[in-house]
Amino acid sequence: MDATSIADFVKQVVMGKISVVQHTEQVLSEIESTNSEFNHFNLLARDLALQQAKEIDAEIKTGRHKGKLLGVPISVKDCICVKGIESRAGSKILSGYKPTFNATVIKKARSEGAIIVGKTLQDEFGFGTFSTNTGVDFPTPLNPLDKSRSCGGSSGGSAGFTALTEFTHAGLAESTGGSIACPAAFCGVVGFTPTYGRVSRYGLMDYASSLDKIGTMGKTVADASLLLEIISGHDSNDSTSLPEPVTSLDEGKGEAGLKVGIVKELFEKSDEAVRKECEKAVSEMEKLGASVKEVSLPLNSEYGVAAYYLLSMSEASTNLAKFCGMRYGLHGKLEGSFNEYFSKIRSEGFGKEAKRRILLGTFARMSGFRDAYYLRAAKTRTKLINEFKEVFKEVDVLAHPTMPVVAPKFSEIKKLSPMQNYAMDLCTVPASLAGLPHISLNAGAVKKMPVGLMLTADHLQEQKLSSAAFSLEGALK
Amino acid sequence: MTQDAEKDIIIGLECHVQLDTESKLFCGCPTTADEPNSACCEVCLGFPGSRPVLNKKALDYALKVSMALNCEINKEFFFSRKTYFYPDMSKNFQITQYEIPVGKNGYLTLSSGKKIKIERVHIEEDPAALVHESGMVMSKQTLVDYNRSGVPLVEIVTAPDMQSPQEARDFLDQLTTVLQYLGVFDEKDGTLKIDSNLSIKGNERVEVKNVTGKKGVEKALAFEAVRQKGVILKGETISRETRAFNEQTFTTRALRSKETEADYGYIFEPDLPAFELGEKYLNSIKQGLPELHDAKAKRFVQQYSLDEYTAGVLSRNSSLGGIFEEAVKSVDVGLAAKFLTRELLGILNYNNLSFEATEIKVEELVGLMQMLEKGDVSEKNAKQALIKYILEGVSPSKFIEEQGLKKDLDETGLQKAIETVLDENRPAVADFKKGEEKSLHFLVGKVMQATKGKADARDIQKKLKEKIEAE
Repeated sequence: MDATSIADFVKQVVMGKISVVQHTEQVLSEIESTNSEFNHFNLLARDLALQQAKEIDAEIKTGRHKGKLLGVPISVKDCICVKGIESRAGSKILSGYKPTFNATVIKKARSEGAIIVGKTLQDEFGFGTFSTNTGVDFPTPLNPLDKSRSCGGSSGGSAGFTALTEFTHAGLAESTGGSIACPAAFCGVVGFTPTYGRVSRYGLMDYASSLDKIGTMGKTVADASLLLEIISGHDSNDSTSLPEPVTSLDEGKGEAGLKVGIVKELFEKSDEAVRKECEKAVSEMEKLGASVKEVSLPLNSEYGVAAYYLLSMSEASTNLAKFCGMRYGLHGKLEGSFNEYFSKIRSEGFGKEAKRRILLGTFARMSGFRDAYYLRAAKTRTKLINEFKEVFKEVDVLAHPTMPVVAPKFSEIKKLSPMQNYAMDLCTVPASLAGLPHISLNAGAVKKMPVGLMLTADHLQEQKLSSAAFSLEGALK
Repeated sequence: MTQDAEKDIIIGLECHVQLDTESKLFCGCPTTADEPNSACCEVCLGFPGSRPVLNKKALDYALKVSMALNCEINKEFFFSRKTYFYPDMSKNFQITQYEIPVGKNGYLTLSSGKKIKIERVHIEEDPAALVHESGMVMSKQTLVDYNRSGVPLVEIVTAPDMQSPQEARDFLDQLTTVLQYLGVFDEKDGTLKIDSNLSIKGNERVEVKNVTGKKGVEKALAFEAVRQKGVILKGETISRETRAFNEQTFTTRALRSKETEADYGYIFEPDLPAFELGEKYLNSIKQGLPELHDAKAKRFVQQYSLDEYTAGVLSRNSSLGGIFEEAVKSVDVGLAAKFLTRELLGILNYNNLSFEATEIKVEELVGLMQMLEKGDVSEKNAKQALIKYILEGVSPSKFIEEQGLKKDLDETGLQKAIETVLDENRPAVADFKKGEEKSLHFLVGKVMQATKGKADARDIQKKLKEKIEAE
């Protein structure tokens, strides 16, 4: 059964045809009954959700209602701060931490009438591709289409629940190197990642500040676009937030006159079955009026993953320094020197992958290695951005498989070395490193497992993506 | 220590100056507060998800400092993260500037005329304050006060151009004068922390970290110079190390050797953009710079024919120079200079007061000087009134009026008083005639008393002498 779109849902709420409290109750019960099986949520914000729902119902009765998300259940990735609701970024080290302030995206969504239903599971601090690097004592979310397979990561819970739920819902997710697109592709939903700086990061618990982007997850292009449009815009609390006015993410003129570039290397490096599904989707774009040509991103394909991991780990190793059991989160008995105490808490509180990234990231920025790793990666990044800019002189939108494979089985993931694991991000990392907006939508399936097609546009050209994705989605149905 | 013996000393300074802004460097919290941990928010507490937003005033101030220290300005610059673990660091990294500071390659001129090179001026945030309630040794716990976390600092780094602790002290005096002129540093409540490097030519250098105040630095360096020379005399080698200064004993002790020094693993601060300063903005800062003390002293010598020393004293404090220039519009230059440098500064120094600590109004001082010039009040009573004004805020004109100190004594009145005193103190008159000078002073005192100090002592003395000699 298709869930009602957000736009239609809000219309019905306004007309009084849907009781927001009742609907919220239903969603909460669904989460409660499915979560022990699928682990999509770290926390259910039952009280907060019902309180918001009651307020909205009351507003509707008095006719004082407003908002584009009136009564719409919104799940929030654990790394986004919700005031008074335990927010842990999937890590044991933030046990018990209840933020004293709302992230800007939460404020924006709530001011449009959204109902925050809970915090979704993720790889600890976003450190993963399969949501298998969850924090100490955290479970792993399962793919609703096949429980032996991964939801993808790091926004695994967000994509998993978006696919699973029978109700109207959208997710606030976050991506550093592809953490929205990847799980969206593996779960067969739409993941929309904006230009870096388009959405305020105020209240986002950092992985790598120069790469992190809050984006959205929806069952349809319309839902993901609507939520993204609402959370976009300049925020004086985030110095890297862009001043440009937000464009409306509507259906636009679709594929008519759109120049699409097929990224040669990223097709070549993907599984054949995945490639074929994506090729079919691209030919649909052509039928809709797009002109298609092959383009090449040799530098990005060759150095993207390496530059991304060096930069992201270097930044992460500093962002995670603040967690030391002193001011918030996990605490222990005060013993020994402050160094000994900090080390004890950090040893207990961080999972294996977090420790690996802290160690590698710290190494890459230490004097003696800084020039060869951190600084070289930063310079490489500029070259990679320039390569994109050259390509965007010729085409409007790039297309390639979101992930080179369909959602792998957990048994397969276990066999991957860290390097093989990181290499899985080769398609999503280049656009992420360049801060380019991208959308992943379902292009088809291989043995029932969804295949995602990723479309990337130049900076601030989100509208081109929503426009192209709207009609393609319609054509592929 | 002779001049020769000091030629082999090499000193460089890193000065951390708290900028006197209303709010902190990266958030809107106030820079001062009464209760511990009452002026902090998610940003200065380093809560996850919080982000820095640069305080433009702090940037203005840092640019002023850079320009006043004759630095080249980096029109494009960025911030960096200096990562190390310490309980006073809310994020366990400090936002500072590494590769590209705001200002570089400047200089500051010492009172001797020697120029000390400024290598860089950069902006950074102050960490929180660690509080040991019963002292460092006795306290069982360390408390952290985050009110200081995020207070803006500029770090001013000199080349190793100073050759004695006295030169270092002079540098700091000149620097604080510049800061005071710029109005960017609160000498009373703001802190000045200094890391100093000292080496004896041909030997390793030693860093003395975290000394507060100018006097402390001079003492610490003086101790180090003697200690290091002692080590060399004994035939031992000086090891490259970091030392701490004890403010009670004026000695230093080893903290850590160079090998164990932290590697801060600097990265670009990704939560702040790269900054580009426009010409228009830089020009507005430049045009807003006041005339600094060096230039002012030179101008005072030329414009008012003051001697270099007096011009220097008058321009060392921007307010004092201002009062002087206001005064000479209506008062004689010599009188104003003397009154301000001797009487006013004398009272301030005696009571250990800074200019900024008092609420001196120019009009009151000028009024007092005018009375003095017209002969409406004696020097002694003028000084009395000035003390009363500085310490208690009593208006000098009002004080003189109420106490009946106005010099309304005419010549006959004074002559009359002298005659009375001479009549009543014959033995003293006789002593003076025998050659006892002291007796004359006694008689002058008596006349002063009788005339409530309205007459000048020198005038009384002259008249007394004439009268006695005429007897």
